Amino acid sequence: MLPEPLAGDVITRAMRGGATFAEIYVERWRRRALRVLDGSVKEATSGLEFGAGIRLFFGEDVAYAYTNDLTARSLFEATDTLLRARGGAGRVDDRGRGGLDFRRQAAAGRHTPAVAFEAHPKRYRLDRLREADAGARVGVEIVQVESTLLEWEQDVLVATSDAVWTEDRRVRTRLSVSAIAQDGGEVQTGVAWQGLSVGLELLDRFPPREMGRQAGTQALTNLRARPAPAGTMPVVIGNAFGGVIFHEAVGHLLETTSVAKKASVLSDKIGEQVASSVVTYIDDGTTPGAWGSSEFDDEGAPTRRTVLIEGGVLRSYMVDRWGALRTGYAPTGSGRRENYTFAPTSRMRNTFVAPGQATIDAVFGGVDEGLYAKVMRGGQVKPGSGEYNFGVQEAYMVRSGKLAEPVRGAMLVGKGPETLQRVVAVSGDLATAAGMCGSLSGSIPTEVGQPHVLISAIVVGGEAA
Amino acid sequence: MTVDDARAHVLEQARARGIAAELVAETGRELTARAHARRIEHLTQAVRGGVGVRVIVDGRVGYGYTEELTADALDWMLREAVENAGLQQEAGGFLPAGTATPRAEMVGDSLTASLETKLQTALGFEGTLREDKRVKQVLIAAYGEREWDVAVASTEGAEGSYRRGVAGLMASIVMQDGTSLKQGWDDTWATDVRQLDPGRTALEFTERTGRLLGARRLATGRYRAYFEPKAFAALLGAFTPMWSGKAVAEKKSPLAGRLGEAIASGLVTIVDDPTLPDGLASRPVDSEGTPANRTVLVDGGVLRSYLTNSETAAQLGLPNTGHAWRGYRGTLGVAPSNLFLAPGQGIALQEGVIITDLSGLHAGTNAITGEFSIQALGLWVEGGAVAYPVEDFAVAGTFLTLLQQITAVGDRLQWEYGMRVAYGMPMVEVRELSFAGA
Repeated sequence: MLPEPLAGDVITRAMRGGATFAEIYVERWRRRALRVLDGSVKEATSGLEFGAGIRLFFGEDVAYAYTNDLTARSLFEATDTLLRARGGAGRVDDRGRGGLDFRRQAAAGRHTPAVAFEAHPKRYRLDRLREADAGARVGVEIVQVESTLLEWEQDVLVATSDAVWTEDRRVRTRLSVSAIAQDGGEVQTGVAWQGLSVGLELLDRFPPREMGRQAGTQALTNLRARPAPAGTMPVVIGNAFGGVIFHEAVGHLLETTSVAKKASVLSDKIGEQVASSVVTYIDDGTTPGAWGSSEFDDEGAPTRRTVLIEGGVLRSYMVDRWGALRTGYAPTGSGRRENYTFAPTSRMRNTFVAPGQATIDAVFGGVDEGLYAKVMRGGQVKPGSGEYNFGVQEAYMVRSGKLAEPVRGAMLVGKGPETLQRVVAVSGDLATAAGMCGSLSGSIPTEVGQPHVLISAIVVGGEAA
Repeated sequence: MTVDDARAHVLEQARARGIAAELVAETGRELTARAHARRIEHLTQAVRGGVGVRVIVDGRVGYGYTEELTADALDWMLREAVENAGLQQEAGGFLPAGTATPRAEMVGDSLTASLETKLQTALGFEGTLREDKRVKQVLIAAYGEREWDVAVASTEGAEGSYRRGVAGLMASIVMQDGTSLKQGWDDTWATDVRQLDPGRTALEFTERTGRLLGARRLATGRYRAYFEPKAFAALLGAFTPMWSGKAVAEKKSPLAGRLGEAIASGLVTIVDDPTLPDGLASRPVDSEGTPANRTVLVDGGVLRSYLTNSETAAQLGLPNTGHAWRGYRGTLGVAPSNLFLAPGQGIALQEGVIITDLSGLHAGTNAITGEFSIQALGLWVEGGAVAYPVEDFAVAGTFLTLLQQITAVGDRLQWEYGMRVAYGMPMVEVRELSFAGA
């Protein structure tokens, strides 16, 4: 995507101008989106995003520039603009003399899709989305079904003054289905979605008809549900996307972005018991085909599996290059960014709670009166205070350990460190789900996961009597 | 190729092939300087741009875009857009008859200052934030500016372009008092860099977060609620899609079919005005080149209008309010510009909870059903005065019920800005709201 000599020249120019580290990130990203409402195409779009980001370090200070113009003139100008801000443009010293001998690292093909971006006529996609529509029509109350298919093929090149040269292709596909159920004046919604680092074979692994059925059934359930209660109570959190609770309550608190500045309540706590002993929490960027996987991170480092919490004890943070520089912790291949317009920061990849020993019956058996949050929506956290929230899309009351009537979704709120200590039981049925996570370096695909988990007390934000 | 060349190239190709096409071309500029420990720790200077096309082929609509401005990439974009149009069965698509609007240069010298001055602004801002002894850490303290050069052109003769920009201060600080920790996330924006006052803004931001230290848990119950402007802007922002003509046409809005009905308390008047002088999101035309218009959405509680573009106006049989929104990478939708709740007579505090912050709106609101359940922070009020801060609770309800229960509106607007929309909000008093807590 960029000639090697030009990448070398940009980096050399930056180092001569006083940078202590230089990196160029080049991205070419083809995208397709198809939205189908009640069987007919509302929008079909195809796009090509293309640009480069130049990141320079001056000790621990960072300067970043990006542009869509990848000519030598434009890249040199962007570099000089950053150097000028540091008073270093036009300076010449010995560093970077003699050019760079890049060590090319090829991707091993761990996430190569079975179906290429160009495969299948567009019509095939529409036909598959109509299967979702048919699947969602589970009752006369279903008045509307919408499905959206996203296809990404992102080519990334990272070259650095450490002579790193990595090229990586990330192919991702995501299907989401939403259904609206109506009964008189009452309207409720249901959703289902799946995303993987694969091509259109996603639609064979997660048949659209079945996803439609899930969305439709959930909309009907919510239509029958009464408002959730309000107050503090025990909550069983469902598996798969239920893992968003740990993503918010603990995951973000372990990114060096906050940790390095001691702006996380979990700063300086390696080796300490930060969670109940039943919690083991892992971030794995290598899982084949997982939504948040890639062979290299957006700083050109190989991704890896990082055990964050083991038996409740904090083992590691998620560390990017800047975080490593600031904290001294070794990088974990966690430098990620939405696209070339963002400098990378430490981020989650595929993060999940490891399976525990409890049976499902034991998890529910621990609840006298509480909530089963079966399907979650997204959430948010303030790492500095640990205050987090996440929305519930499908929920039920639990009485005397038994599942009872459905209640409409409510937000769950709490403080991360407290919630971690209140994890009473973890079952063995680990499952994962795709999400989009927004933070300093933009919105990126991250997977969350967990088995069923019982938390002894959380605020359930339903309607007070 | 420049963005202008690319636009001309695509229109020429479309005309040659007899395709109706509309182009949105955009060049954005960003400058962000983050200060930490009295140094500029992160500086971003950048330019990004591209072109996006909407084509109509036999009444069918397709989209494409590219940031690579080569003839090959542009031809690929047009080819894909035409192929995408072929997927549609409905054949009612059209491009509006174009009008040419003179270019508006809205930036002038409003962002003109030396880089050094701007870096000093960030450094001074961070320095003042740290003067408050309760500030434990500064995660972000930044000066930022954004500038957009937007052009719309179509084979049907639409033509419009403008350049606008904003400058702002952003901060995320962690404050501590004993064991109580609070993290604030605040920003403030202006159309002119000279309107920014880093010292005063730093004091406002530390006061906003500092007053929440030592918060007590709030007991579950139904209380009177006083929304501060920032919190109400976040809530109204999450439910603005209810007024979208697109959502109404697709039957995804609780406001569908309710024009002329009283949907809110008589104290509620909501207006969108892209023509406001000095508005943070003012623009002369929308994304289809339709000249900008002031639109009254709710007048004394009565629903008067939705936000429409040419497509949704035709579908609904309503006037086009000139609120088309299409970024070059997106598809045609609608969006507000400067949206405000008209100021009222003011509020006299009695008893209840001042809601200062809302968090998790993307997960806790549903614009199709109108329901919400959202994490909040606030201040307990009794005897007409603030008693102590409260935490660890969520507020829940239905947005239209909340609008009906508004019992007083503040007399002064505060402007919040994000995602290219400005929200002008007064303080809002709601008779009763559900609070879930201890």
